[in-house]
Amino acid sequence: MAVRVETPIYRSDWKQGRIAGWLTTVDHKRIGILYIVTSLVFFGAGGILALLMRAQLATPNEHFITREKYDQVFTMHGTTMVFLVVVPILAGFGNYLVPLMIGARDMAFPRLNAFSYWMFLFGGIVLYSSWFTKGGPNSAGWTNYVPLSVNLPGHGEDLWILSLHLLTIGSLATAINFIATIVNMRTKGMTWTRMPLFVWAILTYGVMLVLVLPALAGGLTLLLLDRHAGTHFFIPDQGGSALLYQHVFWFFGHPEVYIMILPAMGIISEVIPVFSRKPIFGYRAVAFSTVGIAFLSMLVWAHHMFAVGLPWGLQVFFMVTSLAVAVPTGVKIFNWLATTWRGNLHFDTPMLYALGFIAVFTMGGLSGIFLAVFPVDWQVTDTYYVVAHLHYVLFGGSMFAVFAGLSYWWPKMFGRTLDERLGKIAFWLIFVGFNVTFFPQHMLGLLGMARRVYTYHHGGLWEWYNLASSIGSGVMALGILVFLANVVITTRRGRRAGNDPWQADTLEWYTSSPPPPENFDTVPYVTSARPLRDLRRKLAEDRA
Amino acid sequence: MRRRNSLVLFVAALAALVAAGAATAANGGFTPPAPHSPNASRIGDAYWFVFAFCAFIFVVVEVTLVVFIVRFRHRGRGREVEGPQIRGHTRLELAWTAGPALILAIIAAFTFYELPGIKNAPAATGANRLTVRVEGHQFYWQFVYPGGQVSIDRMVVPVGKVVHLTIVSPDVAHSWWVPALGGKTDAIPGQTNHTFFVADKPGVYEGRCAEFCGIQHAEMQAEVAAVSAAQFDSFLASHAAGSRTVGNETVVGACAKCHGFQGQGLVGPAIAGNSLLNDTRGLTALLRAGRPPTRTPFGMPAVGKTWSQAQLDATIAALKRTYGKGTGGG
Repeated sequence: MAVRVETPIYRSDWKQGRIAGWLTTVDHKRIGILYIVTSLVFFGAGGILALLMRAQLATPNEHFITREKYDQVFTMHGTTMVFLVVVPILAGFGNYLVPLMIGARDMAFPRLNAFSYWMFLFGGIVLYSSWFTKGGPNSAGWTNYVPLSVNLPGHGEDLWILSLHLLTIGSLATAINFIATIVNMRTKGMTWTRMPLFVWAILTYGVMLVLVLPALAGGLTLLLLDRHAGTHFFIPDQGGSALLYQHVFWFFGHPEVYIMILPAMGIISEVIPVFSRKPIFGYRAVAFSTVGIAFLSMLVWAHHMFAVGLPWGLQVFFMVTSLAVAVPTGVKIFNWLATTWRGNLHFDTPMLYALGFIAVFTMGGLSGIFLAVFPVDWQVTDTYYVVAHLHYVLFGGSMFAVFAGLSYWWPKMFGRTLDERLGKIAFWLIFVGFNVTFFPQHMLGLLGMARRVYTYHHGGLWEWYNLASSIGSGVMALGILVFLANVVITTRRGRRAGNDPWQADTLEWYTSSPPPPENFDTVPYVTSARPLRDLRRKLAEDRA
Repeated sequence: MRRRNSLVLFVAALAALVAAGAATAANGGFTPPAPHSPNASRIGDAYWFVFAFCAFIFVVVEVTLVVFIVRFRHRGRGREVEGPQIRGHTRLELAWTAGPALILAIIAAFTFYELPGIKNAPAATGANRLTVRVEGHQFYWQFVYPGGQVSIDRMVVPVGKVVHLTIVSPDVAHSWWVPALGGKTDAIPGQTNHTFFVADKPGVYEGRCAEFCGIQHAEMQAEVAAVSAAQFDSFLASHAAGSRTVGNETVVGACAKCHGFQGQGLVGPAIAGNSLLNDTRGLTALLRAGRPPTRTPFGMPAVGKTWSQAQLDATIAALKRTYGKGTGGG
């Protein structure tokens, strides 16, 4: 007596409007684009904050902005770039690409997916609303150490905590969504080792977020209670522990670094083979090193705390684990290099960013070794050396990969290719500007310049390196403007991209550009990690 | 073609040499500042040891990258032309897992070898040993010597003596850092940390707070002056906690950074000619407990929380002298 009732798809008219369509969407592609566009807007805001700081530090004893504004600016810059740019933009790529790459029609929980995005936007708005409170935004740095942050006046700090709570909830939901999607919804034939490496990275990203975000949320809750409910978890005078906060924060904070770099590495692992016209060298090594990095990254947090007076045994433990992370990271770099070996290298913009990534990320990885060796860390931690290191990893690493990804998947997302000439100009401006900005900061740190200072009184090399760094930041900003101009110009006039403009390997290129709702009519049975190449070869054979 | 490759290699090698040359030349920020204490000098050794390996790996990766980019560029070949479909090579994978692991093990081993000289102070007793209590405050350093003498922002020690530091903070996290005399040690409320140094030459060594501690963090600087034994004795004689000198130093280090050197107001309100200067009890309460940020945008830290009564009296006297009415302090 089973009667199968076809539920008619009810489409209310108001949901079809140009704006309402985006507001009510549960389509993973639209949500992905919303994530990416919103993150890029915050990237612009965070970038302007960075330029303000570089203007202030361009010369000694500068009065471009006041000291209290400077503290707010670096706090908001760090918080924005970590929580509102890199993490969500990678979630945006994941959202857009994962279902396409695994041959699924959407994410496992489309409405939860939309919820995640709106939490992200809402969290960002809450954070930025703190500029309008009395006393302005949080000024304790993105690490927000106690007891300084416990006693900060005004509501900037409270809004900062609230914003991070909202972002955490959104990220947790996304993470669960990614895991459920990847585990359950791969198309026929897509075994674990036929999955694109980017999907491996997003799976790892999801698992790590689920493991560490609760620690952050817990720590923030304790902080909020200390501020307003009269508790003293972090107040040493009253029996709390200031050090506890640092442990909780970095237990989240260090894996967070890898949460921001692993999907970026996933993008690089997609781009390099396609533009080398070769398969990735050592698929399993690259995939398993992703998991290896994720595992080790959970065990290294206290290398941010070598100067707090940890017992010697712990210092040694965290040094060894931190050095160990370099091994799987090196494996990835060597495999990417080997992928280009004897290839047919095409230097389209995505490939330029990917090769640029290898060049500068290597620098960031190696400067990390100095930070892992704890006696050396005592000299360089909390200085501009660390600022240089983290930007080599997060800008030279994650953001270069984001630009690689944007130029690579742009034709898929919008159906038109970006202009190659403008793209290359933007790349070179960003690449050169990046190095001019951040390389001298290594030297500044070794010369003794602490981070988070609103001014300095030294002339000579201090002044020259700071000036170079500020000039570099301007060049980088120019590069980003060229990128934006490229986007604006090609939106209407760009060359139409076919389904597969790069002759790529993975399933997202099988459908039209941009893909229709629900992505595919049919999905071919997957027999290798490169289903599209298989298909092209089969077609060529059939023709022959 | 071959000639072109060797040219690229030559240029790359040249660039590497130039970088190495620049690095070994006078310190342009390529190494921590010249060490003047045995622990700092061993940290310097560790730095160079790590540097050597990292520079080697850096050059290998970057040169390989550039050579591959030049050598395997498309040269007009279309996208449909594929490179050899090589999927991996197990022995190579093992090699570039084991190779770096070995290098890192060597780095770790060298660190363990240097560690005793970095963490253990040379044995010293009695006259050869000095213990100084270092207090990080918003936004000044207070140094307390064994006889109760005090100095602010400038620590004076005899050259060649083993100086043990007991590092604490009564307010927020700070970090003690004098690069020439060793690495950082955080001053964290609720916890006591220890480090040491032995200044090998007379001189003044620059240092500063390295952990962001609030609005005047940038001005929280310090210096260590290493002097002869005789000079050190006269320093101690002039720096009794209740002395006029300490009162003046405290006003300059603890008060003036926020209220301006003329008391004209800066981060905090103007204090020159302020009526509170005549109210010793009110002033004592303010210095001891600070003020919550309800009346001024930043509040005032409890700068005098740890001062002895003698230092407090000396400071209040110095405040009145410097900023009181009729002194022309404004």
